[in-house]
Amino acid sequence: MKSGYQIVGKRVNRVDALAKALGKAKFTSDFKRQDMLIGKALFAKFPHAIIKGVDTAKAEQLEGVQAVLTAKDLPGRNGYGILVPDKPVIAEKKTKYEGDAVALVAAVSEEIAKKALGLIEVEYEVLPAYDDPRQAMKDDAIHIHEAHPAADKGNILTTVALDSGDVEKAFREADIIIENSYETPMVDHAYMETDVCMAEPDPLTGGLTLCSPQQAVYATKRCLAPVFGIPQNKIRTFCPIVGGGFGGKEDSVLDVSAMAGVLALKTKRPVYFELDREEVFRTTGKRHATYIKHRMAATKDGKITAVDVETILDKGAYTSMGGLNNPLMAVTQRTAMYAGGTYFIPNARARSHSVFTNHPYSCAFRGFGAPQAMFAVECQIDELAKALNMDPIELRLKNILRHGDRTIFGQVMKENRGLGLEECITKVKGRMDWDKSLDQGNGPVKKGKGIAVFMYGTGIPLLFEGASCYVNLELDGSVSVAVAATEMGQGIVTALTQTAAEALGVRYEDVNVTYSDTATAPDCGPTVGSRAAVVVGNAVLDGCNKLRERMLSVASKEFKKDPRDMDIKQGEVFIVGKPETTMPLAAIVSKAFITQVPLAAVGTWYPPQPSFRAEDGQGEPMHAYTFGVQAVEVEVDTETGELSVTRSVLACDVGKAINPSLVEGQMEGGAAMGIGWAILEEGFMNKGVMENASFHNFLIPTIKDLPELESIIVEHPNDLGPYGAKGIGEPPLIATAPAIRNAVCNALGISINTIPLTAVRILAAVKNQQAVGGGN
Amino acid sequence: MAKKIQFILNGNTVEVMVGETELLVDVLRDKFRLTGTKKACGTGDCGACTVLLNKEAVRSCIILAPMVDGKEVLTIEGLGDEKNVHPIQQAFVDAGAVQCGYCTPAMILTAKAVLDINHDPSDEEIKTALSGNLCRCTGYSKIFQAVKNAAKAMNLKR
Ligand code: FES
Ligand code: FES
Repeated sequence: MKSGYQIVGKRVNRVDALAKALGKAKFTSDFKRQDMLIGKALFAKFPHAIIKGVDTAKAEQLEGVQAVLTAKDLPGRNGYGILVPDKPVIAEKKTKYEGDAVALVAAVSEEIAKKALGLIEVEYEVLPAYDDPRQAMKDDAIHIHEAHPAADKGNILTTVALDSGDVEKAFREADIIIENSYETPMVDHAYMETDVCMAEPDPLTGGLTLCSPQQAVYATKRCLAPVFGIPQNKIRTFCPIVGGGFGGKEDSVLDVSAMAGVLALKTKRPVYFELDREEVFRTTGKRHATYIKHRMAATKDGKITAVDVETILDKGAYTSMGGLNNPLMAVTQRTAMYAGGTYFIPNARARSHSVFTNHPYSCAFRGFGAPQAMFAVECQIDELAKALNMDPIELRLKNILRHGDRTIFGQVMKENRGLGLEECITKVKGRMDWDKSLDQGNGPVKKGKGIAVFMYGTGIPLLFEGASCYVNLELDGSVSVAVAATEMGQGIVTALTQTAAEALGVRYEDVNVTYSDTATAPDCGPTVGSRAAVVVGNAVLDGCNKLRERMLSVASKEFKKDPRDMDIKQGEVFIVGKPETTMPLAAIVSKAFITQVPLAAVGTWYPPQPSFRAEDGQGEPMHAYTFGVQAVEVEVDTETGELSVTRSVLACDVGKAINPSLVEGQMEGGAAMGIGWAILEEGFMNKGVMENASFHNFLIPTIKDLPELESIIVEHPNDLGPYGAKGIGEPPLIATAPAIRNAVCNALGISINTIPLTAVRILAAVKNQQAVGGGN
Repeated sequence: MAKKIQFILNGNTVEVMVGETELLVDVLRDKFRLTGTKKACGTGDCGACTVLLNKEAVRSCIILAPMVDGKEVLTIEGLGDEKNVHPIQQAFVDAGAVQCGYCTPAMILTAKAVLDINHDPSDEEIKTALSGNLCRCTGYSKIFQAVKNAAKAMNLKR
C-alpha cells in the first residue's frame, strides 16, 4: 500500500539552501552583539609541564579587563568530559597538551583581552612530551595523568578485548597467513565554522544560556552542569545551523562552552568566546591515530578462517570518546569490533589499547574507529588476494557476510535489516569495468585500481539510544516538529521535513522543523553515529502517526466512515477510492481543537535492546548496518611520487534514501574526506606541538585534488528504519583510504601500509623497492 | 589611527571610520552587519571570506579596510535576494551544492567573478577558479555542476 510515496525518496531542495545561498542564514558567530565581553584563553606554552605558578596581577590591572580566572577561581567541578570528567576547564597542576588553558580572561574588547593574556606570567617545569602511544604505554613512562579517575594502568586508558572461536587452532591449521602492520594518522575535522560560544547568565532563573555550534545540546548541558554548579534544568543549550561537525563538535563545544560559561558567571555579563583557526587545530579533538598489527589466516582456496589484531590508539591527553564505563560507546571498542571487516570469520581475537599521549584529545570523527579498523582489514584482503593470485573482488565475494552469518562480534546478519553488500559490489564492478586492464604505457606514470568494502552500524548502542520529539498540528493545517538534533549541513531538517510530510499526508511546504535547542525540544540523543535520520526520524514518524490516527478518527465522525477507509494526502482528508470526498486537514484539525482532541504529540522511538558482553566483545550492538563499496583508479608518478585519484565510484546500501540528493551529498562529501585522509592530511606533532596548525600546511582536498565523485545508491530496506532507511552520515568515507592504498599497490607492485600516501612516502617506497631490486 | 573611508558597498556609497590595521572582513561583519561574509581561517588560506573588490574575487581577511577607500565592494548580500535570486545562487540551490553553507557565499562570489569575464569556461577553468575555496562538506562535485549550470543559465539571459 505504501509503494507510491508522495515526498519520501524525492529530490526536493533543502529547506535551508536558499537562505544559505543568499548569505542570510545565520551561524552562531553571526549573532555576536556589541554588549558582549570577549573571552580568551591562555593556552599551555608547553604540552607537558608542571605548573609552578600563575601570576595574573598585571593582567587584572589592565583597563578594560573584567575578569581573569585561574583554576582556583572556578564555580564548580574543574573537570568535564562525555564519558569521564577528566579534562579540566583550567589546568591546575599540570599541562597535558597544548590545548590546556592555564588562565581565562574576559575583557571589553578582543584587543584588550589579547593584551591581558600577554601579561599573565606562568612558571612551568617542563616534562618530556609523548608523541607515540607505543612509547607512552611502556612501564617506565611518566604518567600523563597523575591520578586518572578511570585509567586501566599507567597511560593505558583502556584495553578492549574481542574473542570468538579458536584462534590458535585456526592459525595452526591455516594454509596461508598474512601478517602486516598499518598506521593511520591523526587528523583534524577541519569543519569550516570555527568553535565559538556565547554564554549569558539568566538573572530570572539564576541559570545560564549557552549558544554554541554543536552536535548534542542535551549532552552538553549534562556534561557542564557540574562545572557551573547549576542544575541541568536551568541551563539552556542551543545553536542555529552549524558549519560542519563530523563528530568534532560533540566535544569542542564543551571546551568553548565551559570557558565562556565560567567567565559569564564570574562577570555576570554575556561573553563571546571564539577560537581562531590555529586554536582549533591546536586545542580541539582529532581522529585517533592508530598503529595496527593484523594477522589473517585463510585456506588455499581463499576462505578466511581467523583474524588476530592488535590496535594501539593515540588517545591524546583526555578520554573524550575513547573508552571506559560504557565500552560500546567508545572508539576503542569499534576498532576491535570492525577488525574483521565485512567478512564471515569464525575465529577472531582483537585487542585494542587506548593510550594517553600529549596530543590533542582524540574524539569522535566520522566513522568512529571503523575507518582505521577497515583500513587494515581491507589492505589485508588485497594482500591475501595477491598471495593467492586471486581477483580481489572474487576473494571478497567468497567471504562477505550473508544472511544468517555471524560477525566476529557475534551479531547475526539479517536480510530484513538490509544486506545490500553484494549488490553494491556487483554494481561497482560493472561501473568500473573492473575486468578490463588499464593501459599502462611506458612513461613514469603508472595506473592502478583498487577496491574496498565496509559495513557500519547505525546509531550508538547502550549508553543512550532512542529519541523523543514533539509534533504539533496547527489550526491552519500546518505542522510544527521540534527535535533537539543538529543541522550541520547533512540535511537532517530537510529529511525530517520529508518524513513528517509523508507520515501526516501534508505538503512538504507545510512542515516546519525546529532544531538543536533544549528549550524547545526533548532529548533525541546526539547528532552522531549516523543516527539522526533513522532514530530521530522514527521518533518523528511515531509522533506524526499518533496525530494522523487522531485526525482520521475525528474525520471518520465527519464522514461517517471507518478511519481505516480514510486517508490524508497533500493536506486533504478523503475516503479511500473517492477522491471527490475531500476535506482540508485544517478543517479536521479545527474540529479536533474544539472537541478536546489533543493536537500535540510526543514521538518516541527505541531500537531493540542491544546486547553486549565486555569480557569477549560479543553481542548485537546495533539494529542495522549500512554497507558499501568504494573503487578508485589512480595515477602514480614514479619519478615525483605524485598521486592522483582519477576515478572514484562509491556504492552504499542505505536502506532507503529519504532524499537521494542529500544521500549523494553525504556520499560525495565522505569520499572526498576519505581521499583527504588517504593522500593528504596528517597532523605533524613534535613533542606535543602541532607543526602544521593552519590550512596553509594542514592540507585538505581542494576541488583540484578530487575526481568527479560517482555515487550509486542501493536500497535494501531496514524493516525498523523510517521507510526502510539506514544511517549514511559516516559510512561513505570508511572504504576510501584502503581502496586508494590498494590501487597504489596495484599501480606500483609494492605495498605501502601507512597513510597518508604523500609524494614523500610514495617516493621513498619506490626508491626502496629499486634499491632492493624487488617488485615488478 | 582611525580614518574615514568611503566606498561603494553593494551598490550604495557608504562611509565608515576604520583603524589602519582593521581588516575588511571585520568591518563588513561587525560594522555593516553583513554576516554572509565568513571568516574561517583569517590567514588567507580557505577563501570563505571572499568578496568582490572592483569585480575581482579577494580574501577580505587579508585586505586592510583602508585599502578599499574609493573602490567598489560586493558581498553576497548585494548579489541577490529572495525576490531576485541570482542565477548562480539558484544553480547552487537546485544542484544540491549547499550543505552546511559556510563556504557557500564565497563559492558563489568566486564563481561570479569568473563567469562575468568568461562566459563559456572550460571544466579546468572552473576548477582553477574555485581551487582556492575550501569546502569540507560536499566533495565539490555538486558545486562544480552548479557553476556549470549557472554559466548556461547566465548565457541564456545575455
Ligand atoms: S577567512 Fe579569509 S581566507 Fe580563510
Ligand atoms: S558546504 Fe560546508 S563547507 Fe562547503
